[in-house]
Amino acid sequence: MNRYYLYLILLNMLINVIMFVPKILIEYRYNGAVMGTLIAIPIGFSLNVLFTKAITKFPEKGFPEIFARSRKRWIINLLFGIISFAAFTAGLISLLGFVDILRRFVNPEMSFMYLLSVFLAGILLITKLSTERVMYLLEIVLFLNTPLILFIIFKAFTSDYLVWDSILEVGTHLFTKPSLKAIAAASYIFAGYTNLIIFNRIIKGKIKGWNFIMVFFLGLFNLFTTFFIPIGFHGSDGAQEYLYPWISTSDSLRLVYSPIERVIFLFLIFYMGITLMSVSVHWHLSYELIKGTYKESKKKDWAVLAVFACISVACALFFHTLLLNKITVHWMLSRFGLEIIVVGLFYIWARRQKT
Amino acid sequence: MPTIAVEQIKERLKGKIPKAADVVFKELHTKEKYLEVFYIKSISDEAVLHDKLYKPFFEQQHPDEFKNYLESIPQIKSYETEEKTINEILNGVAILFYQDSVLLFDSKVDRNNSVLDTTVETTIQGPQSGFSESLPTNLGLIRKRYPEAFLNVELTTVGKISKTEVMILHDTRYADPKTLNKIKDFLSNVNIQMFQTGEQLLDAIKKSNRALFPVMLVTERPDRVAVNLATGKVILLVAGSPFAVILPTVMKDFMASMADIYQTYWVGRFLLLLRYIGFIISVCLPGLYVATTSYNPEIYRVQLALSIAGSRNAVPYPSFIEVLLMLFMMEMLTEASIRLPKAIGPTATTVGGLILGQAATEAGLVSNIMIIIVSAVAISNFVVPINAFSFSVRIVKYFILASATFFGIVGVVIGFFIFIAYLVKLDSFGEPFLTLVQSKPHKE
Repeated sequence: MNRYYLYLILLNMLINVIMFVPKILIEYRYNGAVMGTLIAIPIGFSLNVLFTKAITKFPEKGFPEIFARSRKRWIINLLFGIISFAAFTAGLISLLGFVDILRRFVNPEMSFMYLLSVFLAGILLITKLSTERVMYLLEIVLFLNTPLILFIIFKAFTSDYLVWDSILEVGTHLFTKPSLKAIAAASYIFAGYTNLIIFNRIIKGKIKGWNFIMVFFLGLFNLFTTFFIPIGFHGSDGAQEYLYPWISTSDSLRLVYSPIERVIFLFLIFYMGITLMSVSVHWHLSYELIKGTYKESKKKDWAVLAVFACISVACALFFHTLLLNKITVHWMLSRFGLEIIVVGLFYIWARRQKT
Repeated sequence: MPTIAVEQIKERLKGKIPKAADVVFKELHTKEKYLEVFYIKSISDEAVLHDKLYKPFFEQQHPDEFKNYLESIPQIKSYETEEKTINEILNGVAILFYQDSVLLFDSKVDRNNSVLDTTVETTIQGPQSGFSESLPTNLGLIRKRYPEAFLNVELTTVGKISKTEVMILHDTRYADPKTLNKIKDFLSNVNIQMFQTGEQLLDAIKKSNRALFPVMLVTERPDRVAVNLATGKVILLVAGSPFAVILPTVMKDFMASMADIYQTYWVGRFLLLLRYIGFIISVCLPGLYVATTSYNPEIYRVQLALSIAGSRNAVPYPSFIEVLLMLFMMEMLTEASIRLPKAIGPTATTVGGLILGQAATEAGLVSNIMIIIVSAVAISNFVVPINAFSFSVRIVKYFILASATFFGIVGVVIGFFIFIAYLVKLDSFGEPFLTLVQSKPHKE
């Protein structure tokens, strides 16, 4: 088992709650989300397998190292730029989304910028670490937080207020025509493999088959939890009333004997670490790809990070929750398309490479 | 060597070493032969000189016989350069001028070679004695615990003025040659005038000479050194210091006490877990208190939130001032109890702990719960077994406190992860300071 590989996938599976995936799925629950989810599983999973297989042909190499000797620099730079932008925006959406959640549920009177700044400080620090160190940190954060999330999921599944009838009711819409948006959103669950673009640097050896089996079942379970638990708690009609279905769901849970009674706080504390790491991992990927397009220079490194920070501040000023939600839907669609193109091209390219 | 050269050397040495009260230049005569001895009395062992030099000199009549004797005893070295010889004299070596040769007679006095008891890293069971302040004795202690032919000892000096002898020990089978080279480079580049003890290296590791966290372990226990040698670590012994330096050191080593080996498995694990929990508590608790009283009291269930708020009822200022006040008092108390003579140490803690704590609450300056938190923080801080590390941790809680003061609960969590990220960023001679599974990833 390659634990680093699984961490990357798991991180994406956890962060989908912040990335509006449940919101999008629940919005289309009568209009093809169920079928869409079912279709997204094989698509997402096979993209995952194809890409992983292709990139593990180049052991301990990230994209910048793999394409270091390529002659057509401008194509490579363009490609790096696009992927880097996609990764950056992925991080940005979850960052803005989560800061918005914090402001709504934890510190309503605190300004958005204020909260954003503490996150940015942490994220930029982590982004600048070496790839290996980011992974070590990710491992520690997951180790500290995973018991909490397992506990919360356990609590959710065993709660008396989880109504299975609502879930079944949504299940009856299985055969509606699948919606593309739902497919794109649901396939995001499996998209953690894209982090291998950089993090392949620390993956040693082949990734064995049963890693994929793990990914498949984790993804299945994760999609089910993400999609259906809020419906079970809020009813098949009520679920769409919420801006952040999962946060509201966690607020419906109560720990009777714990000093912290409302699960939402546990949930948010847990997600602070996960969001921090997820954004850092995405931005680290983006940062390293951009670094791959120019020769080593400390000034440029700092400039890239400064640009990251400035864009996030600008976006924070410009976007509000609803707009962010709308943009995320389009982002999901374009990400889905880009992913298919990149994975397809890279797979073909890697096959022609004789290594 | 021609006689003129010998005379020249003699004169030059005499000229270089000023006539201090303890500089001795002696001439010994018998009928057949003639010997001159030059040494510094306070750092040379006159008993050795007497037994090994004067006695045979007067017992053996024939000049050649005595020369043979001199050449055969192990304390004798031959003269190399003037500079080296002066260094040797200053270290307690006697210079002999006999016939037409100049010889160096090792008569260094070995003071402070009594083995001390451990006082900093105490354990309930296991060996109780530490190092002495003498380099050869310390090396002997280690060799006794580590009787392996692979134990390699190298000698260098550190310190511009002090020229302190430093021994580099490692097991050639286990130690990573790359790390060893890094350590040697580091030692030769250290810029210290007076090098007295290994702890001084802790700061020298950074370019700015300002480090927050130690990345090498300073220990007073020979058993810890022996155990670490077997895991491939490099050991530095410093002359005149009863502490050894272990490199490279990662966080796991700082959290380990030697007692862990001397306990049963589950007891050891339990103690280890306890230490990590104590570490997290001492770092996070003050910040958490500020965050949950001033920003998010709704995190706790109503009864608890009310009882905390009720206890703070009389306190006339915001929680972060309360915390700062009490932490400050606590640090004062800790510092004071280190400096005080042992006889009145307990008095200070009683006065500080009981009376101040009680009185402060009754006067309405701090809440009851605050007293509990401060004591919890202080106690759990001392659970960390290595002192240098627990001092660093003491500082970090103020960082988290500040971040909690500004950002509430978000500040605590993010501050804590930034702190962890900083630890992950640190490395000790190429070894990452903090990882969950402390092994290099190529073992996958």
